[in-house]
Amino acid sequence: MALTALDIYKLLPKTNCKECGFPTCLAFAMRMAAGKATVDLCPHASGEAKATLGAAASPPLPKVLIGAGEREVVLGDETVLFRHEKTFCHPSAVAISVRDDLPDADFAARIEAIRGLAFERVGQRISVDLVALRCVSGDAGKYARRAGAAFEATGLPLVLLAPAGPLAAAADAVGASRPLLSPPPEDLEAGARLAAARKLPLRVRARGMGGLAPALATAREAGAASLVADPAPECAREAVADATTLRRLAILARNRDLAYPSAFDLGNGFPDPFLAAALLIAKYGSLLVMDTADPADLLPLLTLRQNLFTDPQRPIQVEPGIYPIGAPGESSPVLITTNFSLTYFTVRGDVEAARTPALLLISDCDGMSVLTAWAAGKFTGESIARQLAECGIADRVAHRTLILPGMVARLSGRIEELSKWRVLVGPQESSALPSYLRRLTAAAFAPSRG
Amino acid sequence: MTVSPSIPTFPGRILEVTLPAGPGGSPVVVGGQNALPLLPEGDHPHAPAVGMEIRTGPEELPPALAEVIGPFSGNPAALAQKCVSGWGARFLFLSLSGCNPDAGGQGVQDGAAIVREVLAATATPVIVGGCGDEDVDGRLFPAVAEAATRPVFLSYAEEKNYRLVAGAALAYGHGVVSWSPIDINIAKQINLLLADLGFPGERVLIDPLTGGLGYGLEYTYSIVERVRLAGLSGDAMLARPILCHLGDAWKAREASDASEPGWGDSALRGRRWEEATGLACLAAGADLLVCRHPENVKRLSEAAWR
Repeated sequence: MALTALDIYKLLPKTNCKECGFPTCLAFAMRMAAGKATVDLCPHASGEAKATLGAAASPPLPKVLIGAGEREVVLGDETVLFRHEKTFCHPSAVAISVRDDLPDADFAARIEAIRGLAFERVGQRISVDLVALRCVSGDAGKYARRAGAAFEATGLPLVLLAPAGPLAAAADAVGASRPLLSPPPEDLEAGARLAAARKLPLRVRARGMGGLAPALATAREAGAASLVADPAPECAREAVADATTLRRLAILARNRDLAYPSAFDLGNGFPDPFLAAALLIAKYGSLLVMDTADPADLLPLLTLRQNLFTDPQRPIQVEPGIYPIGAPGESSPVLITTNFSLTYFTVRGDVEAARTPALLLISDCDGMSVLTAWAAGKFTGESIARQLAECGIADRVAHRTLILPGMVARLSGRIEELSKWRVLVGPQESSALPSYLRRLTAAAFAPSRG
Repeated sequence: MTVSPSIPTFPGRILEVTLPAGPGGSPVVVGGQNALPLLPEGDHPHAPAVGMEIRTGPEELPPALAEVIGPFSGNPAALAQKCVSGWGARFLFLSLSGCNPDAGGQGVQDGAAIVREVLAATATPVIVGGCGDEDVDGRLFPAVAEAATRPVFLSYAEEKNYRLVAGAALAYGHGVVSWSPIDINIAKQINLLLADLGFPGERVLIDPLTGGLGYGLEYTYSIVERVRLAGLSGDAMLARPILCHLGDAWKAREASDASEPGWGDSALRGRRWEEATGLACLAAGADLLVCRHPENVKRLSEAAWR
């Protein structure tokens, strides 16, 4: 937990020497508590004070970088246990595996399949993040060549799952792309020395917290600094418990020996990988290695990740504009609502359920729902009249009838006053739209001469 | 080297709720825990339960569902039997969607008759859902409460209708599902109102409204987590088992669209869409899941550990 200004003050010399640049030790302590100053400004701080305050200033869960450039993957660096407390920052990274002993054509096809695991959703691109290269051949030269080929073809950072020999060869070949070294437990020391020499991130795999604590210490002693902890669980249930323990140790206990981003190999015969992956996306998995490259598995998992790693304080917004539903014609109904994504998706779903082709106007309301936007003055008679005039809807339909959310029925007079449109007040709840739309007569949308 | 993990302990405990069964059936008991879900800490006397939804109204099923439950269309009693004995549903959510005026006009008495048929066909616990039309539901719930030959749960009681629903449930010994639109304050409020009426807490479930994967699931996820944390922290009005409907998952285009070649097999994808929605709900703290695909009863039960 973060230290208070008073906790910090107690650790300072209390001499008010001003050498830190602040008038008193207490003022300095208050700046530090606010995260605006660090202990190294104080030339007289004791070793204990430096150790305690230095540790308190660093993030509870360290940040580990894999890859470089545009596709760089960030693990860890989270500050809360529940997304509603603030937000989760760095989405669980998903690595798809490929074996190095596949025949050339199969290898290329597999890499191509991994490359294809990218989708567009609500205006965002969601995709798998890494390629995990499994060394099955035991042949260092082959493994290194395959690593080069996988990186070249996908541009994705690599997870190198290989014993010391092939691992060193691959690090020679693709070290500049900053892969994650993932030696088996028996090659931990060799892997850690390689990671230290090349300044590469290292995955440390050992069973449970009891195994990880000494293994991580070994890796640190060998000089590896950027570490990822794999507790090697045997099933989803253990995986969730381990991931939770690691995350709590970092955030609640500020434990330094075990506070690392977590990694899980859900391939190689791990039971029920889809189930484990979904639960670990919700519960603290930082890196997931999977053997499936089936989009029917990955589109749901990546969508779940997109959902849960959305900042709860910043709702996803939909681009304002005209959204056709079905194949609308010039006499199709026109509805309007705000650009809060949940509002949009709900209304869209209900209009689709009505099976009536329609045009949905989305207003720019800073991602607020209808009532909130109205209360904030973002969804008004003026703004709606302006949108009707400027968005080009008049060219898409021959009528001039707008369906307004029932919650803001009071805007109808103003809209009719300011525009040439007639307003029909729709239902209060979007869920009543299907029956509402089905009850409307074609006469409501007869061409207007106005 | 010893590691002392930080295990949070909570002062509160979730109220234990029993969904009663008929003669020879197994009741479903949920709640009773004093810890967060999925973790080997605290007491978890009961595993979450996975049930299935039966809808009485006509609907166009996504292909992945049509294949398996389509053949039972128009025969809720037969589907109920299949759900329980063939697919392992531990309870049924009987949605009387056919009573909605837009759905082809089953009357209130038809709805009540279907409830009786389903209760006769199986001994498994049943939750009866309304049709979504305020006026009709106002007549439907009392009729169902009277017609039910054994205790069921009525779904749902909200701010507008709770007196009527809770009154009908109280008169005939049923339970209620309290509903709120992804809002922890309203969830608490409706439970307070029910308590003020003297409705017994051990016959109340919380339905926080479940958005499907990709379409608002994150809101539900956080509300479920917050309701559960509040309940465990001692807020008695929120210390209730939580029920999540996964049906919304099937409304997503991604759950049924077969026209996108890059999205993989649509039948598997549809199932996965519902499964991922359910797994997220379990991770957040749901005690009861209502799914639609038979395979997902099995799949989600795999993660419904104590």
